[in-house]
This record gives sequence, structure tokens and C-alpha cells, in this order.
Amino acid sequence: MKLGIVKETRPEERRVAASPNVVAKWIKAGWNVAVERGAGEAASYPDSQFEAAGATLVPRAEAWTADIVLKVRPPETAEADQLRDGGTLISFFYPAENEALLAKLAAKKMTLIAMDCVPRISRAQKMDALSSMQNIAGYRAVIEAANRFGSFFTGQFTAAGKVPPGKILIIGAGVAGLAALGAGKGLGAIVRAFDVRAAAEEQVKSLGGEFLTVTVKEAGEGQGGYAKEMSKEFLEAEYALFRQQAKEVDVVITTALIPGRPAPKLWFKDMVEMMRPGSIVVDLAAERGGNCEYTKPGEVVDVNGVQVIGFTDLPSRMAHVASEFYGMNLWHLLDEMGGHANYKIDHENDAVRPALVLEKGEKRWPAPPMKKAEAPAAAKPAAPAPAPAPKPAVTTTPAKSSGHHGPPARAPSRASGIVMSVVGLIAAGLWIYLRFAGDPGALGSVEMTELIQRMTVFVMAVFIGFQVVWNVTPALHTPLMSVTHAISGIIVVGGLLAGSGKLDNAVIVAVAATLFATINIAGGFIVTRRMLAMFRK
Amino acid sequence: MESMFKSVPHWYALSTVAYLVAGVLFILALRGLSSQETAKRGNIYGIVGMAIAVGATLANKEASFHPALIGAILIAVVIGATMALRVGMTAMPQMVALLHSFVGLAAVLVGFSLQLHLDATRHLAVDFDLPMAEKIETYIDVIIGAITTTGSVLAFLKLRGSVSGKPLLLPARHFLNLAMMIAIVALGVMYGQKAELWKLLAAAGIACVLGVHLVAAIGGADMPVVVSMLNSYSGWTAAAAGFMLHNDLLIITGALVGSSGAILSYIMCRAMNRSIWNVIFGGFGAAPPKVDKKAPAQPAGEVQEIDALELATKLKESKNVIIVPGFGMAASRAQHAVREMTDVLRKQGVNVRFAIHPVAGRLPGHMNVLLAEANVPYDIVLEMDEINQDFPITDVAIVIGANDIVNPAAEEDPTSPIAGMPVLQVWKAHLVIVNKRSRGAGYAGIDNPLFYKPATKMLFGDSKDAIEKVVAALKS
Repeated sequence: MKLGIVKETRPEERRVAASPNVVAKWIKAGWNVAVERGAGEAASYPDSQFEAAGATLVPRAEAWTADIVLKVRPPETAEADQLRDGGTLISFFYPAENEALLAKLAAKKMTLIAMDCVPRISRAQKMDALSSMQNIAGYRAVIEAANRFGSFFTGQFTAAGKVPPGKILIIGAGVAGLAALGAGKGLGAIVRAFDVRAAAEEQVKSLGGEFLTVTVKEAGEGQGGYAKEMSKEFLEAEYALFRQQAKEVDVVITTALIPGRPAPKLWFKDMVEMMRPGSIVVDLAAERGGNCEYTKPGEVVDVNGVQVIGFTDLPSRMAHVASEFYGMNLWHLLDEMGGHANYKIDHENDAVRPALVLEKGEKRWPAPPMKKAEAPAAAKPAAPAPAPAPKPAVTTTPAKSSGHHGPPARAPSRASGIVMSVVGLIAAGLWIYLRFAGDPGALGSVEMTELIQRMTVFVMAVFIGFQVVWNVTPALHTPLMSVTHAISGIIVVGGLLAGSGKLDNAVIVAVAATLFATINIAGGFIVTRRMLAMFRK
Repeated sequence: MESMFKSVPHWYALSTVAYLVAGVLFILALRGLSSQETAKRGNIYGIVGMAIAVGATLANKEASFHPALIGAILIAVVIGATMALRVGMTAMPQMVALLHSFVGLAAVLVGFSLQLHLDATRHLAVDFDLPMAEKIETYIDVIIGAITTTGSVLAFLKLRGSVSGKPLLLPARHFLNLAMMIAIVALGVMYGQKAELWKLLAAAGIACVLGVHLVAAIGGADMPVVVSMLNSYSGWTAAAAGFMLHNDLLIITGALVGSSGAILSYIMCRAMNRSIWNVIFGGFGAAPPKVDKKAPAQPAGEVQEIDALELATKLKESKNVIIVPGFGMAASRAQHAVREMTDVLRKQGVNVRFAIHPVAGRLPGHMNVLLAEANVPYDIVLEMDEINQDFPITDVAIVIGANDIVNPAAEEDPTSPIAGMPVLQVWKAHLVIVNKRSRGAGYAGIDNPLFYKPATKMLFGDSKDAIEKVVAALKS
């Protein structure tokens, strides 16, 4: 079988479907590889390297008629005519948007595998070209911003003055957003990332970013149209947050995409206008219409000194590494399909089947749901860009995360452990007690019953105490102690009970007990009151 | 026994209900303390519960309460209220410790009162003795009460500074503890054979010594644990009294207080990465690395100083400031000056927050109370876990009178006595200001490599004076 690597013809496209490294792997695996002359030049892979890797350099027409044609972008209409009837094409394709082209390939009885349709399950991650390109785009977005930003990203203290670090806001902490976060941190900037998914918080923090999210208070309970109201409120809160951030940050990188739909608008004209002159907006969703209202795909727009970058070719601007990554994705795909020895289209392979668009001219897309589909949750972390707008329901959960949840979350298991040991000790005590009081005369059955009742009360109270106190916030530990003091003054009841009768020694001692216990009650409650009155928000 | 149930007096049924209500109110009181919003209500629940409990007890028509009791209550309310209203927030640890000792003392006295009542009846029949259950209960009540009393008094003195905070480590202290425990158990067995006053007195005496000895061995830095542990003891004492007097309310309340104190001790210990046994017995068995007088390998080095004026300039230029208060702030009553500095900075748009280590100060939550007293809003006062990751993005971290809780040796030096203790990572801030009265080591007696880090500048002087100077410089 012969693989054909063709030159990309679309303007501004510098990538090539595979690097010489990948070609060498294919050759080693037994494939024949034909590379169109000059295919890798724009990506800094000269023909000589492909030749050295074992590929045959061929003229354009020959590369296009290989058994399997490997490409980055979907073919132009004219190029599609060059494809061999009954052959195979593997490239990005976006079948939903390219129906005419699809019909054309179907007429040629071709097999088509669309790289953009590779499922986002963990098993298919190695061939997920969208993610690898998003990763590059995120990094490049920061570089483009840095290139146009008139100051340092990292803070500087110099003899000539002090420069605060640059602030970057990233909207959407998907693959691209996280890559941008890493790149921004690497340049020394302060990076904040916004996402509606609570799961993103951990990832953002792990890379050293600040996590921003919106907490929406519940609007009315149990009313109809609850979710809708929620979503409106949520969006308002989100935009309010963005407007506040717009005044602070130097760079905004938006990455919000919704599969199969135009990109949601979330960085409005007024937000751009609020930003300081010299600030940068990089819109990674530009190809899908953009998240920013000022975005013009492929261009840089200047709005009162704020530059809105709408490049659609960010991965292509790093064609060298992008070609290497894309080639590796293709290598894994072919490997998954059986490699050179057992290459075939397997409808049972859930990592490949969704990407199969045409099979010998028969339309196979969209793929039917898999019987044993992997849990969608597994795909989530890899999602390229979250869509803030359509799923506001998620936001009810991240409400007040972090906070005090640390210790109390672990508490119950610890508490029950302690409780169990207390119970054990009590049981042991009871046993010793019974041993001690072996004399049946002294220990009547009624007394035994009463004791057991008291033990029960005791254990229950200990248990309740543990449950209640675990939730006390550490800031209130001192008031907690003083209130427990006041309460432990309950021993006054003991003093009172012992203080009946005429004034003999016993009663005098009981009076003294009452005195001390009551000091505690009065002192404890009053001091608690004083302390609590001081806490203010 | 059947007759007993028939003759259950009316008040008895009523008081049982009243006790139940009081018990529930106490639970609600503790529950209320779980957040600032509900805490005041919780305190009121406690007061109402107490009023109901005392009222129901006094409503017992069968008992002939001595009028002196009422007098005692009135006097005690006046004393307690005076103490509570006059105590300064910096003196809270002492006050708390003193209150512990009162609970213990009251419990001991109740136990003795019962014994004396018994002795009074012996005039009628010499052989008369208490049932075994009551003997054991009385005995336990007196022992725990006595340990609590003297332990708390010593803690009070240590916290007030009347007694040195240094741990007193007698050579054979574990042996001494053990001997005293054995003596107490032996006396207990004897008391079980016949309840006599002298046995109880002797046991209480030994328990008093034991209480002193236990607390004496504990160093100043561990005081928060001791205080909360004594809190726990005072609760168990009350519970023991409840068993002794067959009073469910005492049992419930004692158990609530006891478990509350136990949890606080546990939380404190975890904050210091030490086990409760390690704290109480100062290292049972495999003695932990004790602090030598002055280990020569310690990172002696040059410290850089900063003055108030320069610090004010730095603060004006910063965006994020975190203040880490410690006992030194309490000692020099600098919290008001600190609050003033916070206000000035916040007005200028600086994000000022406070980082509170769980064992900062001498009492759980001590710093929070002090800052609250100075009117610092509690939403900018954060726990260690909430704020520790923010130090790398902090321009200036100001450490005021804290030492061990910001010591990087806990993370970097496995041989350090505080190795493994979670600490506030102030050294990750761009600039660290350490305010200290002098160049001495911290309460734990450990040198602090933080002082010699390149990003650290020392602001020597009394906290209050130093911060007031900074405030003046900020305003000029």
C-alpha cells in the first residue's frame, strides 16, 4: 500500500501531513510513502530529509493518486478531481460543512476518514489531531499576544523603574486554554482562567493559574422555567465578571467553541473598549466567527489601541512542530486500523468508526452510537473548548468550592474512627466495672439497668458532640471553647442537688461548688457574647 | 421498686422533660457556633438551656435547698460577669484556662459533698456504704476533676507569664506519671471496698500533683493543645458527675463538651503534625528530636533590615499583601495598628488579606478573635489551606510576631524538630517582611532560616510601634 503526502495549497497553510520522522516510521513498518516535491518546505522540512527517511519524491499528480492520501486541510474542489477513484483520503474534513465536496468524493467511490471526527475518548487521544492543534494554537496565541504587547510579561524591578507583570485572562480552560495558561506562566505573566466546569479548577490551579468562575445565587425555588432564569442570571454574572476583568488585564485569550455551531459571542464591543490601549485580544475561535464581537477572521483589528487578533492559522504558524504532531496522530490512526500488515476498515473499532465518513462511496457518517461506548466523562477533560453559554446548569455546583471544605470533608471517617474507639473504651470500662462489682448483692439488677441506660445516653451524646463540633469553622474555635465552658458549668446542677439539707460540711462544699460552676456559666456566656459581637463581615 | 415508680413525684417528670429540652438547646448552641452568621443565636440557645436546667433543678420541692446556694449563685454571676467584661482579648487564653479550673474544682467539690453526706449518715449506721457503681463514679469524678483543676491553674499561670513557658522535664517523669497512676488505681480499689473520706482526699491530692506535672512538661508552643485538652477533661468531669448523681443532663452536656475539646485538640495536633501522645507526654518512648541549646549547624547568616519608611513605599507599590499574625502581635497588642494599616492599604486598592495558621497564638482561633476585636472584616481573614497557594503571587508578605508557623525548615530540613508541620509558605512571596522584637529564636526555640533568605527583610522592634510607624509613613 502506498501513502501519498501532498503539498497543502491553501494560502497561509504551511503545515504538511507528516514530518520526515513519521515517514521513517512508516517506511520501517513496511509502507511505501510518496511525498510530493516541496510538500514540507514551508514547514522547514526540505525534500532531502524526506528522501533520507526513505520516501520517494514524486510529482504532484502521482502523490494524489496514492492508495491513501494524507493531508491536513480538506482538499480544494479542483484537487478532489485528482484523487484516484476508490482510493482513501485522510484529512481534516468537517463533513457537516462540506457537503458538496463530500458528494463529489462519494461519486468517486472513495473512502474518507475525517481527522476532526476522531472521537474524544481516552483510547483515541493519541490520534486526536484537534487536541494537538489546539495545544499549539493556545501556545501560539500567547506568543502572538506577546509579540504585539508593548511591555514585559514578567514583572521587572530595574534601576530604570518598576514594571508590573502582565495579566492574561483566558476564557475556557480546555486544551488550548491550558496550553495558553502554561505558556503565559512560562513568560512570567499573571494568568487567570475562566471556565464554567468545576473540574477545570484543579487543572488551572495545577498549572499555577488563578481560577475564575461565577457563583450564581438560586433565584426562587421550585418555580417553572428555573433553569432558564438561572442561565440568564448566570450569563449576566459572567459578563459582569468579564467587564471587571477587562479593566484589569492586558491580554484576553478566548477559546470558547460549541461543536457544530458558530462560536458564542462573549467578549462584547464594550468590553474591548474598556480595555487599556495597548491591550490584546486573541480570539482562538475566529475561524468559527469568533468569541469577540470585533473579531475579523484572519485579521488584526485595532480598536482604539486595543488589537483584536483573529488569526485562523495559529497552528500553521508553528508548522514545523504542528506537522510532526499531526503526522504522529496519523501514524497512530493507521496503526489503530491494523498498520501496514492488517490495514482494514473495522466497524467495531470505536476509536476509528466515528471518523469514518465514506466507505467506498457509501456514507457512513454520522456513526451510529457505539454499543459499549466509553463513558463520556472520560472525554471531558480533553474537550477542546468549553461552551460557557449553553450549559449554565453546571454552574450550580461550583458555588462555594475550596473554602472550608478541607478538614470537614475528611472529618466523618476520622470522627467515626474516634467514636468507635470511644465506644470500645466504654465497653472495656463496662467490663472492668462488672468484674469489680462481682458481688451480686451490691449490684442489683435495677442498678445495672440504670447504668446501661446512662451509658447509652453518654455514648449518644459523645456521638452528637463529634458530629456537631466537626463543622465549627476554625475562626470560631475560641468562642466555641468559651461557650463550652459556660455549658460545662451545668455541673451547677450537681452542686445544687448536693446542697440540700441543713448547713453542714457537705452543704458548705456544695455551695462552694455551685459558686465556681456559676462563675463559669456567667463568665462563659458573657465572654462568648462579647467575642461574637466583634466578628463582622 | 414498683412502688418507686408509683411515687414518682410530679416535679421529677417535669424536670426530666426540662432536662431534655436543655440538652437539645446545648446541642443547638454548639451547632450554632459552626458559622459566624449563626453563632450569636447559638450562644442564646446555650443561655436559655442553662436557665431551663437550673430552674428545673431548683423547682424540686422535695429537696430542701439551702438558701446559701442562692446567695452563691448571685455572687458568682457578679464575679463571672465582671471577669468576662473586663478581660482583654489578648488575655483570653488565661481566662479560658482559669474557667477550666473552675469546672474541675466544682466537680471535685460535688464529689466531696457526696462523700460528706455519706459520712453524715454513717453516724446512724456505721456499716452503711454507697453502692459500688456510685463509689466508682464518685471516685472517677474527683480524679478527673482534680487533674483538670491543677492542670488548668498551671496553664493559666504559664499563659499569663507568671510561670516560665519552658517545658519542665524531670528525668524520670514517665516513671513518676506511672507511679501516680498506679497509686490512684490502688486507692480506687481501696475506696471501692469502703468509701471513706481520707482515701478520696489522698487520691485527689495525688491527682492534683499529676495535673501539675502533666502540664508542666508541655512547652509553650503546645499550649493551644493543652488548653483544648483541658477543655475536654472538664467535659468528661461533668459527665462523670452525671453518672454519680444519676443525672442525664450532666451526662449529655459533659459528653458534648468533652468531645468538643477532644476534637479541638485533635485539630491542633494535626496542624502541628504531631500525635496527641507526643504532645502530652513530650515524646513517649522514641524521644523526638528535642531542641538542643543551640545547634551549631543552624543557618546563621546575614539578615537584611528594612525601616518603616521603605516598607511603606514597597507596600504602596504592591497589589497583593498577606499579613501573617502570630503571638507577638497579641503580646504587644498591635492588632489595632495592623487594622489601621490594612484600612489605609485597602483604600489605596491593595488587596490585603490575613493568613491564620491553626496554631497561631496560644489558643485555637486566638488570632481570629484578636483581629475581630480590631474590626478586621472576617472575610479577609483566611485559613492556612485557603491562602497558602497564593503566596507565589503575593508582592509582600508581612509576618508580625510569628516564627515557627512560617519556618521553612519544617518543609526543607527533615532533621528540624518541627519537620513535617504544615507551615505558611511566606517565603514564596516576592518580598517577605518579618517583624520581630529581637533576633531571638521562636517559642519552640528553633532558628528560622526564613530570616536569612534573600527575599526576606527584617523589621526589628515592638510590633505595635513598628506598625504604627509604617501607618504614619503610609499616610504622609
